[in-house]
Amino acid sequence: MSLLEVRNLTLSFRLWSGIVDVLHGIALSIAKGERVALVGESGSGKSVTARIVLGLLQDLPGAQIGGEVRFNGRDLASLSRHEREALRGRDISMIFQDPTSSLNPVYKIAPQFREVLARRTPRITLAEARERATALLQEVAITEPARVLDSYPFQLSGGMNQRVMIAMALANRPALLLADEPGTALDVTVQAQTLDLMARLVADHGTSVLFISHNLGVVREFADRTYVIYRGRIVEAGPTQAVFEAPGHAYTRALMAAQPRLTGGALPDIVERDPRFFDPVVLHGVPGC
Amino acid sequence: MSLIGQGLQRLGTALLVLFGVSMLIFAVARVIPGDPARVALGPNATAEQVLNLRTALRLDEPIVKQYVAYMADLLRGDLGDSLYTNRPVTTDIAEFLPATLELVLVAGVLMVGIGLPLGILAARHRGRWPDHLVRVVSLLTVSAPGFVWAVVLMLIFAYGLQWLPIAGRLSDDIDLVRVTGFLTVDALLAGDWRAFLDTCRHLVLPALALALSGIGQAARLTRANMIETYDKPYIEMAQAYGFSRGRIARAWAFKPSLIPSLTIIGLDFAAMLGNAFLIEAVFGWPGISRYGVNVILRKDLNAIVGTVLIIAAMFILVNIIVDLLATWLNPRIRHAEARG
Amino acid sequence: MRRALTILTGNPLTLTGLVLVALVVLAAALADVLAPFPVHRGAVVDFVNFNKPPSSDYWMGTDLVGRDLFSRILYAYRISLILCAVVLAIAVPVGVVLGVMAGYLGGWWEYGLMRVTDVFLSIPPLVLAMSIMGVLSPTLVNGMMAVTAMWWPWYTRLVYNITRGEKAEGYVLAAEVIGATRAHIMFREILPNCVPAIVTKMTLDAGFVILIVSSLSFLGLGVQPPTPDLGSMVAEGAKYLPDSWWLSVFPGLAILIAVFGFNLIGDGLRDILGAHR
Repeated sequence: MSLLEVRNLTLSFRLWSGIVDVLHGIALSIAKGERVALVGESGSGKSVTARIVLGLLQDLPGAQIGGEVRFNGRDLASLSRHEREALRGRDISMIFQDPTSSLNPVYKIAPQFREVLARRTPRITLAEARERATALLQEVAITEPARVLDSYPFQLSGGMNQRVMIAMALANRPALLLADEPGTALDVTVQAQTLDLMARLVADHGTSVLFISHNLGVVREFADRTYVIYRGRIVEAGPTQAVFEAPGHAYTRALMAAQPRLTGGALPDIVERDPRFFDPVVLHGVPGC
Repeated sequence: MSLIGQGLQRLGTALLVLFGVSMLIFAVARVIPGDPARVALGPNATAEQVLNLRTALRLDEPIVKQYVAYMADLLRGDLGDSLYTNRPVTTDIAEFLPATLELVLVAGVLMVGIGLPLGILAARHRGRWPDHLVRVVSLLTVSAPGFVWAVVLMLIFAYGLQWLPIAGRLSDDIDLVRVTGFLTVDALLAGDWRAFLDTCRHLVLPALALALSGIGQAARLTRANMIETYDKPYIEMAQAYGFSRGRIARAWAFKPSLIPSLTIIGLDFAAMLGNAFLIEAVFGWPGISRYGVNVILRKDLNAIVGTVLIIAAMFILVNIIVDLLATWLNPRIRHAEARG
Repeated sequence: MRRALTILTGNPLTLTGLVLVALVVLAAALADVLAPFPVHRGAVVDFVNFNKPPSSDYWMGTDLVGRDLFSRILYAYRISLILCAVVLAIAVPVGVVLGVMAGYLGGWWEYGLMRVTDVFLSIPPLVLAMSIMGVLSPTLVNGMMAVTAMWWPWYTRLVYNITRGEKAEGYVLAAEVIGATRAHIMFREILPNCVPAIVTKMTLDAGFVILIVSSLSFLGLGVQPPTPDLGSMVAEGAKYLPDSWWLSVFPGLAILIAVFGFNLIGDGLRDILGAHR
C-alpha cells in the first residue's frame, strides 16, 4: 500500500475576476521509503501540490480542492482541520528553498528546535531540546552543534542553515518529507553535498521523499521515480532512468533539451505553448505498490 | 561599536542638539515686541521700576551676552526666576514635572498594553471583522486631538455615568505627603490604600485621553508590521510544521514585527509629552504643561526657556532610549561584530 | 494615475475618506450659501437666543453670545482649510528642496541642514508651535507662520532619506556620467521619485495641520475671536460642560470628520504608492 496516494487532484481559485484552474487532475503515489520527484517549470503547480498534501491550502478562502489525497490510507478531506494540523511537523514535514529566510531571524537555533520537537513532545524543555538537537545536528555532519545552537540564522552560512533545516525536518521522524527545491538558493557544490546528505539520511530512516524541482540533473541523481508536470497536468511518469533515457512526451523532451550543457552551445528556449504539450500522459512501466 | 559606545555617541549629539534648541528658544523668547518687564510689573509700574527690572534681567545687554550669562547660570543649575510665580524656575519645574511624568508614564503603559494586543488581533484575523473594527477605531482615535477625546470621555464617564472624578489629581478630602511627586508612589509609600485608589481613579480619564491616539497608532503599526511578517517565509515554515496559530501570532510573528514598530512607538510616547498640554488643560491637571502654557501666555521668559528646555531634553532622552532599545533587540545589529 | 484613482475609489474606506473630505471642502467653499446665519461668523451678539440647545432654527445650538454654531462651524472649516493650504504650500516646497540638496550635495550642506532639522524635530511639534506663538502676538497670520516654520523639517528629513537611497541608483550615475548639472539631477531625476512619498505625507499632514492649529487655538494661542475656529470653540465650550454640551461636542465632531477623512485618503494612498520609511 502506498504511503501517499493522490488521485484526480484538482485545484481552482475563486477570484474577483473569475475562476482560475490551477491543477487539472493530478495523480501520483509514493510508497514507503521511495524517493519520488515532481519536475516542472515555475508555475506548473508543483509547489501547490505539495502544499495541498500538507493541508496548508485547504483553509484558504476561495480555494476549491477536488479529488483524493490519501495519506496512510486516510483521505485528507475527511479529516478535521485539527487532525490535518496534527500530521504536520510530525508525520509529514517539509524543507524549503531558501534555508536562511525560512528560519526565524530573531530567535537562536536552539529555541527553534524546541518548537519543532515540541510537536512530538509537547512539554519538552529547552535543555532537553538542546540535547536532542545536538544529536540531530551531528547526524547532519555539523561538527560544532553547541555553537550552531547558540547562533542566529544570519550568523550561519547558507549550507549550514540548510543542514539545520534538514535536521529539523527529520527530527520527528516523519514518514513523508516534502522537499521544495532544496538547495536552489545555495551554490552548486554545497547543493551537491546537501543532497548527498539528505539521500543518506532518508535511506537510514526509511523516510519517503517527494522531491520538487526544476533541476533535472539533481532529480536524476536523487529520485527513484519521476513525474513531469506541465500546467497543472502530469504529462509523464515512471522510473527516473526510463523517463530520462527515453522521454516519451513532447514537453519532457523540450524540458530536457533546455538544460544547459557543459559542452557549450546556446541555451535553447522552451516554447511557451505547443499543442503537443497537451498530449496525453506517457507512462513508463507500472508504478509499484 | 558596542552598545554603550553608541549610547554615548548619541548623548553627545543630543547635547549638541539641546544647545541648538536652547539657542533657538532663547532667541525667540528674547526677540519679542513689547517689554517683558513692563508686562510683569503691570501697567501701574513707574518707569524707574521698569528700568530696574530690566537691568536685573539684563534685558538691555547684547543678546549674545545675555545668552552666555544664561548658559553660565544654567550650568550652575540656576534657570532664573519666574516672573509669574516669583520662584526659581527650578522649583517650579520640580513641583510640576512629576505630575506630568506620572500622567505620561501611565498613558504609555496604556498605549503599549492596549495598542499592541489590538494590532496582533487585527493581523491574526486579517480581512475579517475584528480586523476591520480595529482599523476603523484606531483611525478614528488618531483623527481627533487629545482635547476632543478628553471632552468626550469627561462627558460620558465623569458627568454622564459619574463613575470617575472630573478634575484634579486627588480628592480634596485626602491628605498626602509629597515625597517623590508621583502620587501613586507616595500613596504606596505612606501605606495609604484609600489615597492610592483615589489617585488611580483620578488618573484614568486623563491618561486614557492622552493615550488614545497613541493606542490607535500602536495598533495600526503593529498590525501593519505583523501582516508584513506573516508574508515572510519563516512563517510559512512554522505553519508547515503545524505550530498552533496562537503560538505563531504571539511568539513567532510578534517578535520580528516588534522591532520596526519600536522606534515609532517610542516617538509616539515622546510626542505624548507634548500633547500633555491639552489634556492637562481640560482636566485641570497641575503639571508642567499647564505651567508651560501659563508662562507662555504671560511671556515669562526664564520660565519659558526653562520649561521648553526640560521638555526637549526629556523628548530627546526618550528618543535615545528607544533607539538603543531597538538596536539591542535586533540581533542582527547586536551581533554585527560576531559574524560566524 | 487613472489606475490609482480606480483603486482609490474601489476601496470602501478610501472612498468614504474622499466623500468626507469632499463634503468638508464643499461646506467651506459654499459657507456663504449654506450657512443659515452667515453674519454670525463675525462679532455679533444676540442675547435673546444665546446658549440654546440644538433646535430646528439653530441646528447645532447657539453659543454664549447667541451665534449659530452650525454657521460658525462652516466658516471655521473655511479657515482651517485655507490654513492647511497655505502652510503646506510654503512648508512643502521649502522642506523638499532643502532635503534633496542635503541628500545629494552632501558635505557641509548635509551636515548643516540635518543638524538644523534635528533641532526642530527634537522638540515636540506642539511645544515648538506654542513657544513660537507665545512670543509673537497670537493672531491668525502669526499662527500660520509659526506652524509653517515648524513644518518644513519633516519634509526635509523625508526627502533626505529617500535621496540618500536614490543617490546610488543607476539612473543617477548615468546622469552624472553624461555631465548633467547637479540641479538637473536633483530636481529632474531624483525629485520625481520622491513624489509618491511626499503626496502621501501631504494628505496625512492636511489632517495633522488641522489638529495642531485647533490645539493651538484651544490653548488660546492661535486664531483669535471673533474669527471662528474649531479648537477655540471646543475650549470655550469645555468650561460649560456638561450642560451646554453642544458647544464643544459639535466642533469636536467637525474636527474629527475632517481629519478622519484626510487620514482615510492618506492611508489608501499609502497602500497604493507603497510606504517609504
